[in-house]
Amino acid sequence: MALIRWEQFDPVGSMLALQEELGRVLRNPAYNLGLSGYGAYPPINIFDDGEGLAIMAELPGVEPASVNLVAQRNTLTLTGNRAREEEKAPGAFHRREREFGEFSRSIQLSEGLDLEKATARFESGVLTVKIPKSPEAKPRQIAVETA
Amino acid sequence: MTPEQEIATREKQEVQGAEKTRPGRYFVPAVDIRENENELKLWADMPGVSEKDAEVSLNDGVLTIAGKVSPAAYDKLSPLYTEYNIGNYFRQFELNEDIDEARIKARMRNGVLEVELPKREHARPRRIEVSAG
Repeated sequence: MALIRWEQFDPVGSMLALQEELGRVLRNPAYNLGLSGYGAYPPINIFDDGEGLAIMAELPGVEPASVNLVAQRNTLTLTGNRAREEEKAPGAFHRREREFGEFSRSIQLSEGLDLEKATARFESGVLTVKIPKSPEAKPRQIAVETA
Repeated sequence: MTPEQEIATREKQEVQGAEKTRPGRYFVPAVDIRENENELKLWADMPGVSEKDAEVSLNDGVLTIAGKVSPAAYDKLSPLYTEYNIGNYFRQFELNEDIDEARIKARMRNGVLEVELPKREHARPRRIEVSAG
């Protein structure tokens, strides 16, 4: 009989595991990546995806075209504008919790990343920037020759 | 020089109150709600939620908005540094207005749920002409 783990039926269980994993390194000072500080917009998460870094930022309501990413030496700068939706219709606001405005964040990256090969993708209000390790930084198998 | 930061990050708020049977944290999406004589319009920030994973329902005058994020997107990623957690979104509002349910429209755009809730004809204020006698 095959053993099937309960989590396979329960995607929310894996959600809990993921939330715990994300919480574990929440603003972990052990990984000081030279960030422009907590509270800055947008909040970012940084992952190791095996190939390099995956940097994610939540930018709901931001037009993909208004996101500007610049890599210079080891600094990645993300700028953009979260513009308020056009208000053609009149009306009174009962709730106004969402914030708008310009944003800018810089991330100091470690050595050994190939910024030339960085890619960025914007989906459902989440920006993902992938930066692969540079070939020199990747582990290299060294063949052992026999005499 | 960096431009002045006009926008700040607000920490995500967890859903309080009724306990969910399923494990995991739920977050309260930030919303804007605008009302005019014809409709209520709501915007809710739910980054990471696609069209198929957003839900809007109106039951007994209670509007429920919900959104699911997929943990599968994080399968091969191990976190090094995080500033925000992820989770499903959930929020409810009691509506005092009489909404025409058949004409409710909702769409997801760049991680923002937009809901248009048109008022029923008779719920709209009607101007009655006063004629001179």
